[in-house]
Amino acid sequence: MTQYGELPTFANAGRDEPSSPTNVAVESAILPLWRQRLRIFLQNKLAIASVIYLAAIVLFCFFGPLLWHTNQTNQAQALFQTQNAPPSLHHFLGTDNSGYDELGRIMFGGEYSMSLGMLAGFITIVVGTIYGMVSGYLGGAIDATLMRLLDALLSIPLIFLLLTLITIFPRTAASLIIIIGSIGWFANARIIRSDALVIKELEYTQAARAMGAGGWHIIRRHVFPNSVSNIVTVASFAVADAILFLTTLGYLGLGIPSPATDWGTMLNNAAQQQPFYWWQVYPLAAIFILVIVAITYIGEALRDAFEVRLLER
Amino acid sequence: MIAYIIRRLAQSFVVFVIVMMITFALPYFQQGGTLAPAFIVLSNHASPAAVHLWGVQNGIFHPFFVRFWDYFVQVVYHFNLGFSWKQNESVWALISVYVPRTIWLALISLIITVVVALPIGVVQASRRNTIFDYTMTNFLFILYGVPAFLLSLLMINWFVFQSFHLPLPPTDGSSLQIFTNPLPFILPVMTLSILNLAFFSRFMRSAVLDVLVQDYIRTAKAKGGSQRRVLFRHAFRNALGPIIVILGLSIPALFGGALIIEEVFNYEGVGYATVQAAQFNDLPVVLGITLLITVLTLLGNLLADIMLGVVNPRIRVEGK
Repeated sequence: MTQYGELPTFANAGRDEPSSPTNVAVESAILPLWRQRLRIFLQNKLAIASVIYLAAIVLFCFFGPLLWHTNQTNQAQALFQTQNAPPSLHHFLGTDNSGYDELGRIMFGGEYSMSLGMLAGFITIVVGTIYGMVSGYLGGAIDATLMRLLDALLSIPLIFLLLTLITIFPRTAASLIIIIGSIGWFANARIIRSDALVIKELEYTQAARAMGAGGWHIIRRHVFPNSVSNIVTVASFAVADAILFLTTLGYLGLGIPSPATDWGTMLNNAAQQQPFYWWQVYPLAAIFILVIVAITYIGEALRDAFEVRLLER
Repeated sequence: MIAYIIRRLAQSFVVFVIVMMITFALPYFQQGGTLAPAFIVLSNHASPAAVHLWGVQNGIFHPFFVRFWDYFVQVVYHFNLGFSWKQNESVWALISVYVPRTIWLALISLIITVVVALPIGVVQASRRNTIFDYTMTNFLFILYGVPAFLLSLLMINWFVFQSFHLPLPPTDGSSLQIFTNPLPFILPVMTLSILNLAFFSRFMRSAVLDVLVQDYIRTAKAKGGSQRRVLFRHAFRNALGPIIVILGLSIPALFGGALIIEEVFNYEGVGYATVQAAQFNDLPVVLGITLLITVLTLLGNLLADIMLGVVNPRIRVEGK
């Protein structure tokens, strides 16, 4: 988005709205494009709440352990604690079925769930963007081949593919990131491709081509900056999906191996006792669901902010 | 129309072959190479000679394309999906036990989902930007963020242990139990329906919204059609097109959701069988089930396209 901020305002206004530059209102001629977008984003109260919530959870997970000291890795030491103890002053959220402090466990597992999910989501975006842009921009036989391959990948239910991959590769944090990253990009590539298909036919792209610009240059300088809106929107959903996949794997007992843990593995441990103990499920479930919802809201708000039709004119 | 169907069939077949190649190639990347399953089939301490013999018997040492061609001919020409390495059964026998259970579960919940989701979507669209719309949208959003396993876990806790004391489904038995003894299946079917509800009603809302701005809706209103008549007779019918497509396209998601539900409810359907087979590296079973579901998915897409072609003749021309 910063690449819009540096540019002169009139160039911006004309850039996104080539058909009706005269419609641009005086106010929007003063405000740079990214400020307009920021303003639309900030008008969405739910989106602001989501950003605040996500920031709070990240702070809670990564800096909480500095204030709330608990043992989270030493299984032998944890066994000296009461297992499945209800909430008390000593353990604000009780303990889990191995004797670990539940509040500290949520922070500890959250570090893995959030960072792995974001990294995996990032991979899906990078791969999906490159694949979609190359396919859409090149077109012809290459596009047809790449799209048939994508059809094939999309017609295998993701969870089945995930299970096959997880049994084939060793189960480490790095391979979890790569596995989730390598199956999440299919739908992203579709969306980015359809963007590239439109942009490559637009006048400014053709002008660049007429001036002798190469394919890579056009993809980098014209197709990519103009589909940033879609990429950013898709990215937020991709991160939510990646966290969901990771948690589902954890619940199936295929998450990060001990002594590390993630939210899915924690819920799996909680489900070992039926009926479960409420302090092992409800706080974590609420935090987790709201993380997913918050990311989705931010994605929706970003989509609105980038929607050209909503810009003031 | 016939030419269109034949062209789409040919396309689907190509996609099917690519899927087959991908799934067939994956085991080459596993730890210990393609001989790794031998230790699971025979035992952890199998002698090198026994492992080698197993490899020869199963044709592991042939080049990739020879093996793939053999498998391809067996599947496409003889409809033979091979023999399980772990269980003493053919893959077809296993599939014929597990798949019907999942199909009934998924089908019934799909019907319930559609019946509930469509009216919600229509009413939301017609009362756009009212309190009802906002409440429903946000509620469905939160529902959309609830993962399948968590919802199942909560449902079991609430309706089995805390109230109603519903029975849990039996782990195995005839697939038709769902009709003869429906009580234990209420929970899994409900869970699966709720999971799909958010997606379908949201889709219906946007489909109806797209239709409501059309000229023929204004005409219908101008001619004095009542709100209800315009909504359900004109808007709803025209919004059904996208819904047909999404029904066809939702088959993989349906199986994926059912997989988790089966795991949590301990119901031995196709998802349960896949997880089991994947854990034991029982490759023929994983491959067979994946291929079968891929075929179902492709058929779903094909049917969706054909139905759309029937509903909307313009599509036939542009679809290439």
